[in-house]
Amino acid sequence: MSLTTSSNRIGQPVRRKEDLRLITGQGRYSDDVNLPHQVRAIMLRSPHAHARIRSIDTRKALTMPGVLAVLTATEMLADGLQPMPHKPQSNSPAEPQLINRDGFVEFDAPHYPLAVGKARYAGEAIAVVIAQTIDQAKDAAEQVEIDYEVLPVVTATAAAAQCDAPRLWDGPSNVTLDADVGDKAATEAAFARAAHIAKFETWIQRVTGVPMEPRAAVCEYDAATRRYTLHAGSGGAVRLKQDLALMLDVPEQYVRVLMNDVGGNFGTRGMIYPEFALVAWAARRVGRPVKWLCDRSEAFLSDYQARDLAVTAELALDKDGNFLAMRGSNISNQGSHPTNYGPLKKGVEIMSSLYRVPAAHFRARAVVSNTMITRPYRSAGRPEVMYVMERLIDIAAREFGFDRVELRRLNLLKSAELPYTNPFGMLYDSGDYPAAMESVLKRSDWSNFPARRAEAKTRGKLRGIGVANYVDTATGVPRERAEITVNSNGTVDVVLGIVSNGQGHETSFAQLVHEWLGVPLDSVRLITGDTDIVKVGGGTHSGRGMRMGSVVIWNSANEIITKGKRIAARLMECDPSVIRFEQGRFLAAGSDRSASLFEVAAATTQLIDLPEDLHGPLTAFSDEIFNEASFPYGCHVCEVEIDPTLGTLEIIKYSAVDDVGRAVNPMIIHGQVHGGIVQGVGQALMEQCYYDPASGQPLTGSFMDYAMPRADNFPFFDTEISEVPCTTHPLGMRPAGEGGTTPALGVVINAVVDALSEYGVKHIEMPATPERIWQAIRSAQK
Amino acid sequence: MPTVAMTVNGKSVAGNVEGRTLLVQFLREHLQLTGTHVGCDTSQCGCCTIHLNGKGVKSCAVLALACEGADVVTIEGLATGGTADVKLHPMQEAFREHHGLQCGFCTPGMIMSAVDMVKRKGHDLDEKAIRKQLEGNICRCTGYHNIVLAVQAGAAAMKGN
Repeated sequence: MSLTTSSNRIGQPVRRKEDLRLITGQGRYSDDVNLPHQVRAIMLRSPHAHARIRSIDTRKALTMPGVLAVLTATEMLADGLQPMPHKPQSNSPAEPQLINRDGFVEFDAPHYPLAVGKARYAGEAIAVVIAQTIDQAKDAAEQVEIDYEVLPVVTATAAAAQCDAPRLWDGPSNVTLDADVGDKAATEAAFARAAHIAKFETWIQRVTGVPMEPRAAVCEYDAATRRYTLHAGSGGAVRLKQDLALMLDVPEQYVRVLMNDVGGNFGTRGMIYPEFALVAWAARRVGRPVKWLCDRSEAFLSDYQARDLAVTAELALDKDGNFLAMRGSNISNQGSHPTNYGPLKKGVEIMSSLYRVPAAHFRARAVVSNTMITRPYRSAGRPEVMYVMERLIDIAAREFGFDRVELRRLNLLKSAELPYTNPFGMLYDSGDYPAAMESVLKRSDWSNFPARRAEAKTRGKLRGIGVANYVDTATGVPRERAEITVNSNGTVDVVLGIVSNGQGHETSFAQLVHEWLGVPLDSVRLITGDTDIVKVGGGTHSGRGMRMGSVVIWNSANEIITKGKRIAARLMECDPSVIRFEQGRFLAAGSDRSASLFEVAAATTQLIDLPEDLHGPLTAFSDEIFNEASFPYGCHVCEVEIDPTLGTLEIIKYSAVDDVGRAVNPMIIHGQVHGGIVQGVGQALMEQCYYDPASGQPLTGSFMDYAMPRADNFPFFDTEISEVPCTTHPLGMRPAGEGGTTPALGVVINAVVDALSEYGVKHIEMPATPERIWQAIRSAQK
Repeated sequence: MPTVAMTVNGKSVAGNVEGRTLLVQFLREHLQLTGTHVGCDTSQCGCCTIHLNGKGVKSCAVLALACEGADVVTIEGLATGGTADVKLHPMQEAFREHHGLQCGFCTPGMIMSAVDMVKRKGHDLDEKAIRKQLEGNICRCTGYHNIVLAVQAGAAAMKGN
């Protein structure tokens, strides 16, 4: 095999190895796993968004046919099941911590898998019913009698922060975090000398991830070995194992987690869920494997939700349009329990985006409310703040008479200014930000837009165009490990702590191994979903898969080559220093002798006189801590056409330039961008988790009411991959999975507002549904 | 429990089912044909699309007992040949070639819908027609871009078959 002519190398659009099984129905998702003698679990959930649980009577339910157990918080606490191991503050050294203001009073808000004493959102699990069949469990669940004392609710973000809001916990308020970022004095001084101040107040509404595969989990407990084996899809097997062990309060070796295909994640599936611990606990109690399957309606109640950020922001400019400073306040709605400040922090620390902003100050708060818990969702925190910044720029341009592209050109950081520390302390390493914007302006034919607008006008339609730059902070769990084993049978095993949730890891990681070890693509077997094999790994999130995976695979491959040279030297009876490794073979200089990587691997178990460190099998590992953040960036342009009589909107063209540093598989990256754009546009135009403010009832409980983007909402996308090498990554790579989403909220709303500008519409809140657009036009006409 | 008999992927099958058993449950739980997926409970997502007597239907919206004597084809029955010499259906081939799938969960339903679409609408499908016809199939990963390309290519390739 000649690598130089191989179409499977790094940079090639290699067709995916995983596809054959997925297109023939041979994928293996969580609900495809059934264990002998398994019984079924049903979660009995609170119908009230806020209620004291006075009593639970399970006697009648226990007499129902097929019922094995009805478990409540009483049994849970007696058995010592622990709360969810949330770590609200991230543990990445690349991110500063959000530190509470002096005098702020913190309070405990433990998240038990079953509600203890009080339900704090509609859908919180109160009891688990175990029966032989799902239908028996459902029938029995209806016979559980719960006496609730219904309490007042608060669901809206800003309202929850008020001191007179209904209180969820025994704290002085619903505020769980109150921190400052940036330099207040410098910011105030800059605002004092500003010629213009643009102001913006908005709410980045609550949405949810909606992976197409509903969650499912089945767990068996082996009493003889005291071991739990859980089958459940997630972002990473190791993290799930560690978290499950914490909740079950057992040493990690008593827990094994297995997963195969995972039908989407997007962050909301990224970590342990209460039900995973409950099936494990129940399996031990009833002595049978216990399976739980979440149907879609239940998913809309119990899957983590996301975004939900209330923002007030101001941008100060001098008379020429130079940005001087920004200030404001971000409030993150955490839902019923404070579990993750990541999106709040990741957002507030890059409020200034890719622009030169000398000073900034923001207040960052988190609140609890009677809603489902929110967690990171694709590009957590960044789409929200990129939307705020890009709206501020358009507002400033319109209000103070600047051209919106020129205003961006003037303030965009230039390559020579990098590395650049933004006013919140984040260090942008490298890139060519203006080049990305100029490229997408060209692709979108920005300069000829007026003609297209005029043409649309003749048909009675409103055209609008928007532009948005973005930067995306990628951090995530810092530690990752790879282990490569070359087998004499011609296969290569790669063990990695990152589980594919649809990103095509079996293919792109195999491309790396093919490139570096010269072995056929099909010889590479990626092992990620079994914690008895995979011991370390942070899972799939925050653009860490390829960013960290490539480095630990690279290190391991180099170690394999170093070891291999020493073994080959024994085989060929020469000095290791004269051996070179090329295209999968070890070649001895000055002779025609050579040995393949697999022959060398076989020799490790055949040669009896090898030094101890070379005894077979031929294997190497790399275990690294990644302390730096990465900053993918790019620019998108969106052009829309609105029918003013109906308020309906069509996306005419969507162009994107996203920098990934170095593209391993451009086909996969383009696919990531397409999907990312649609998730961002979905938030901008249609998606929202609605709650009734009076009762706290979720109103979006199925695909009939939660608006999912569909095929006919979009055109083909025009996407370009930019590759300016990242200076903080040894291989030059930047993450590629979230960039599609990050600017999409801002660019779409900028385009919609531009289309409506002739009516004097200055802003439209998300989701910009036809009804909202129609209302905006009607209100403006009055 | 009543018995139901039908042909699934060319084989005669029978089973005892409850009156409320859905066709998708019969396929997944009785026949272990787990390629047909369940992505919702309101017949919106299309993950469970199969062919019933030659027509594309959502198998979560059909009772198993209503399929007595029916001819059912699932994603497992679309390719021909054995595991060693599998010959993919042109639509399956097109989804792989055009990267029309990411997590793969909606894919069996997408492919079954696409084949049905070609049967109903012909081989020369334009972008708008495909997007409209995919209204009953939801994907969260791909942004539909490559699915539309795949369906277009698959439809053209089916002409030759």
